[in-house]
Amino acid sequence: MNEFNELFIKYKDLITIAVYGTAIMLIIIGLYAVLLKKHLIKIVIGLSIIDAGVHLLFVAVGYIQNGTAPIFSPGYEKAANRMVDPVPQALVLTAIVIGFAVTALALSLVIRLYKHHQTANIEQIKSLKW
Amino acid sequence: MVITPVHYIVAPLLAAFAIPLLSKIYKDAARVVPGIVLFYNMIISFVLMRQVLKHGMINEIIAGWQPPWGINLVLTPFTGFLAAMVSVMGFIIWLYGFRFKRTLKGGVVKYYEILQMMMIAGSIGVIITGDLFNMFVFIEIVGITAYSLTAFYRDRNGAEAGFKYLLLGSLASVFLLLAILLIYTQTGTLNMAQIAERMPEVSSGIKITALIFFLIALGIEAEMFPLNGWTPDAYEQAPSPTSATFAAVVSIAGIYALVRVLFTLFDVSGVHQYLIVMGFITMLVAEIAAISQKNLKRMLAYSSIGQVGLVLIAFGIGSQLAVFGALFLMLNHAVIKSLLFMTGSYFIYNSGEKRLEGLNGMHKRLPYVSALFSLAAFAIIGFPPFSGFWSKFYILIAASDQKMIFLIIGILLVTIIELVYYLRLVGRIYFAKEEMQDIAHKPSVNALVAMSFLALFIILIGIYPDIITGYINQAAAALLDKTHYIQQILANK
Repeated sequence: MNEFNELFIKYKDLITIAVYGTAIMLIIIGLYAVLLKKHLIKIVIGLSIIDAGVHLLFVAVGYIQNGTAPIFSPGYEKAANRMVDPVPQALVLTAIVIGFAVTALALSLVIRLYKHHQTANIEQIKSLKW
Repeated sequence: MVITPVHYIVAPLLAAFAIPLLSKIYKDAARVVPGIVLFYNMIISFVLMRQVLKHGMINEIIAGWQPPWGINLVLTPFTGFLAAMVSVMGFIIWLYGFRFKRTLKGGVVKYYEILQMMMIAGSIGVIITGDLFNMFVFIEIVGITAYSLTAFYRDRNGAEAGFKYLLLGSLASVFLLLAILLIYTQTGTLNMAQIAERMPEVSSGIKITALIFFLIALGIEAEMFPLNGWTPDAYEQAPSPTSATFAAVVSIAGIYALVRVLFTLFDVSGVHQYLIVMGFITMLVAEIAAISQKNLKRMLAYSSIGQVGLVLIAFGIGSQLAVFGALFLMLNHAVIKSLLFMTGSYFIYNSGEKRLEGLNGMHKRLPYVSALFSLAAFAIIGFPPFSGFWSKFYILIAASDQKMIFLIIGILLVTIIELVYYLRLVGRIYFAKEEMQDIAHKPSVNALVAMSFLALFIILIGIYPDIITGYINQAAAALLDKTHYIQQILANK
């Protein structure tokens, strides 16, 4: 565990960049899927990927080097200044639940669209004007 | 029992969970219980409004956590006024849609009433919450119920409109989350009063980035150009009481969220000019689009967007009088546009035709409903004896106080466009030749009561605007007095 911590401290900038970079990459990949893909399921997947990116960003913002979970437990009574920020984590939990509900609803709408049109290609579905 | 703002949210949530159980015992529970809840909401909004005007702002602390840390519900004259308006409209729309299930098969109506009630509850939540993330959660509640209601009819267009709305709505929620994240990293808080207090210390680059994210996210919710592509489809495909709710409740909540963020949270200069410009473009594009519509509900939807544009202009002008006009217009928009949707849906129901041709000669088959529709049409254009006149009048006076001549000319020109297409509708009803069909679906008693009440309100406010202006004036003052808002909420820190 100690070795891991040392490694972590040595490369902390790199890890920060990696975490934030991953989050932003996820958002960009998701946006690409939502805006340019033609298949409805792929669009829904894109939405989920964007959500994942935003959630990762939230958790990354609350993180501090060498931190612990924000819970007072035996052995951690004096760890208050090492605790990661609990607020973003609470927000992420809520956001995950909302994202889940939206994804489920989106998929059910996709199923209904597929039943009516026999295709999931968005270009062949446009019966309403955009 | 002490009545507090939290009842607004708790009662509908409890009912939403209880209705499926209750309907095992009493078959009509799904239709009756939402009405009781919405009626209760209406009563408490009157009680609380009195309390607010007498003793000042109510700041309710949830679960014993003081404001900067916990979630608080705030009822100022401003939010109290909007909450009262939304709950009254919610109840009237329920009354109107009470027999709505007649046109549907069996069990579906249960979900319809629950979703409708939750949409109204979520909108009230958006209005009364004092916490930024809590606002996001309520916006999502409104969003999810609105997507489901848009796709309520199981035809192909319903699903497509619902999916389109969902796509834009989820993008909005992503941008809203990013904006909240930026604000949180800079100020370390989610309480809106405390954010407003700490905002001057935030560097301007980040402030503007967050502002842009907010404008994208809430612009989608508030139907601002160019992010309102979902609006006409959603209004058209949703069941008619839901279209009325979109106009009277959801768009009000969207505008509120936008205004609260711009007026209280940010102190960036230039936002007001941006609101005026975007509001004007929104209004112009929407009204021009409305005039070429072939479908009644789509036309009304575009007209709704136009009204929202005018509201944004008025908020952009930003003086006390202009904000007063904006709030007055929001009230008028909610009342008049829902009356238009309610009466319009009876025309569609009777002719079986969503296109404008279905209106031809309707006054012989539905004389009373036609009269109400015409009254609402005249009111929304702004003819003098009706309430719509006063809101437009005050906005124009506010614009002339600021010497915005071009804006006044623009608003009047757009009003002419409005005049053209509404008079065309009324003309079709009264003067066009009809193909007589004798199967007339007479409106039910409850719908007649609901529509007559709204019509009465329009005339009454038109003749005696003084009964409502006092409240609106205080509401406008409460919105503009930011320091008082911050002090009151953080007082017991």
